[in-house]
Amino acid sequence: MADMDLLLPKKVADRYLKREVLGEGTYGVVYKAIDTQTGQVVAIKKIRLGKQKEGVNFTALREIKLLKELKDPNIIELIDAFPHKGNLNLVFEFMETDLEAVIRDRNIVLSPADIKSYIQMTLKGLSFCHKKWVLHRDMKPNNLLIGPGGQLKLADFGLARIFGSPDRKFTHQVFARWYRAPELLFGAKQYGPGVDVWAAACIFAELLLRRPFLQGNSDIDQLGKIFASFGTPKPSQWSDMVYLPDYVEYQHVPGQPLRTLFPMASDDCLDLLGKMFMYDPKARISSQQALEHRYFSSIPPPTEPALLPRPPPKKEPVNPKASEFNPLDGPTVLSPPRKQRRVMPHREGFDMNAHNMIKMDDHGNETRQAAGERSEQAPMSLDFSVFGMRPPNRPTINSADRSHLKKKLDLEFQLPEEEEEEEEE
Amino acid sequence: MAADFWTSSQFKQLLDPEELNVVHPLDKERGITAEDYKLIKFHISNYIVKLAQYIKVRQRVVATAITYMRRVYTRRSMTEYNPRLVAPTCLYLAAKAEESTVQARLLAFYIKKVQSDEKYRCEIKEILEMEMKILEALNYYLVVFHPYRSLTQLLQDAGMSDSTQQTWGLVNDTYKMDLILVHPPHLIALACIYIASVQKDKENTAWFEELRVDMNVVKNIAMEILDFYDSYKLMSDENRISAAMNKLP
Repeated sequence: MADMDLLLPKKVADRYLKREVLGEGTYGVVYKAIDTQTGQVVAIKKIRLGKQKEGVNFTALREIKLLKELKDPNIIELIDAFPHKGNLNLVFEFMETDLEAVIRDRNIVLSPADIKSYIQMTLKGLSFCHKKWVLHRDMKPNNLLIGPGGQLKLADFGLARIFGSPDRKFTHQVFARWYRAPELLFGAKQYGPGVDVWAAACIFAELLLRRPFLQGNSDIDQLGKIFASFGTPKPSQWSDMVYLPDYVEYQHVPGQPLRTLFPMASDDCLDLLGKMFMYDPKARISSQQALEHRYFSSIPPPTEPALLPRPPPKKEPVNPKASEFNPLDGPTVLSPPRKQRRVMPHREGFDMNAHNMIKMDDHGNETRQAAGERSEQAPMSLDFSVFGMRPPNRPTINSADRSHLKKKLDLEFQLPEEEEEEEEE
Repeated sequence: MAADFWTSSQFKQLLDPEELNVVHPLDKERGITAEDYKLIKFHISNYIVKLAQYIKVRQRVVATAITYMRRVYTRRSMTEYNPRLVAPTCLYLAAKAEESTVQARLLAFYIKKVQSDEKYRCEIKEILEMEMKILEALNYYLVVFHPYRSLTQLLQDAGMSDSTQQTWGLVNDTYKMDLILVHPPHLIALACIYIASVQKDKENTAWFEELRVDMNVVKNIAMEILDFYDSYKLMSDENRISAAMNKLP
């Protein structure tokens, strides 16, 4: 590539051959590159230095700090780092796609063994983090990357923290909302690995349903969605709840049996899911215990990673339809263009759902009702409920949360700004 | 407790004492000796502590900053990495790494208050450039385990909670030496507890024996600390320090 020399200094340019731009990461541009020494394909994250006022980006530094200590087959590998022109470049192993793209791809059928394999790899990566006293704090399908060999790896440690000291207070504004544990939604400042387990449970549920499970459109609504599914927790179930900073009493609603929520799942599967969705973080199963659960030893055995269904690899000229598909998404999340509907059971039902889903943002109540209705339908309709229409936009950490986070953590989140000279072309 | 120290990068990076104070060829050219190295690092550690008092950061940040500084000089020369700039930069980086960011602007301001010597003055830009160089010198390893975390628990267990302040002070002083680069942090904590119990004439032999640690190592660390206190006067001699510092560019 012609602009390689502009991007990389001579000695590093010798090593990494820059290819196309993969996308815009949390704090900079991500490029595909080839390590000429090993022939390995890598992803290079170039970290923007903002206005040079506070040096290396705080979020990037967190990621470097933790990833240097976390070497595991189910955690993204930070291969190298090097400065160039005052910017820091991070070299990661190249990952083909992510779990969100898998879940969304309607051409993919996920068998129970496939789901078991994906959630097992998720829990393995998580359990390794927790063993090392690291909380990920941003678990969501979009951050679970999938490598060329089908290996799932935890990525994006920009919100992660070491939780060694027992009394340290943390911000509760972590995770994308749909994956936020109830204690965080109630403003807990002291929390532990259970927050990651809850998020993993949401991902588990999402693998089963093929749509995000609890799609709240505000923190209050998120709790509402959780309680509508599992019932409003009683103090006997979760004694510390009433002492949480933002605790408010919710009207009591009964929960639905897990069997109704996940009609297709096996008994072992539901048992594990229920334990991961425990309200009281103290009673919630740990990632390690989850891995030892009989779900993983019972039949069917988890699919070998290499045999897992994956979306076809992205082609070089990006399909125009794909790019219009969801412009808000991160670098590796280009699902293939959607196919025309193949199956059309309950045509009316779909349209109604589609209607509700689109208006979801301003009609929280309606959606909740719709969710209830949906779950009463046959399992088929659950699986195809978002068929043939745009999936709802996932909230990442939005700008309001971000400014809140910034205040809380006193860190500098860089505002989008013009990229310097050479990157633009 | 640092349950994962044994798998950490810090454990893998622990050095033999012989690997310390090996004078970099560039520094040798300037007539800097191994003794000067010790003196300069001692002086620079104190400088970091003073700066930290002004900007008010946790002890942990100070300890991490000094560890970074000491690690840098096992790999880089003082000629190229001027200690006067490395000190505030390590504090700046450690504050970030320990999640309590300090503004570079504030640091540059307090440098003037702490050190009247013009040579210590630095621009924000210089700190930020040095930050990148230090990251590289550290090979991007930023997590540091310290004796503090195990200290309180160990003291409680030994029934010596009344000695907390004294042992805490002893641990602080170990950063005026290279101990953190050589020994696992919990052994440093134990050595400090050992000194405190000897000083208080508290019979703790049984407790130490139950710990299943190599008491010889603990006692050797304790001896090193005591040797350091013996030489403290000599170390803090202003004339000797400035003589060493003046060999720097």
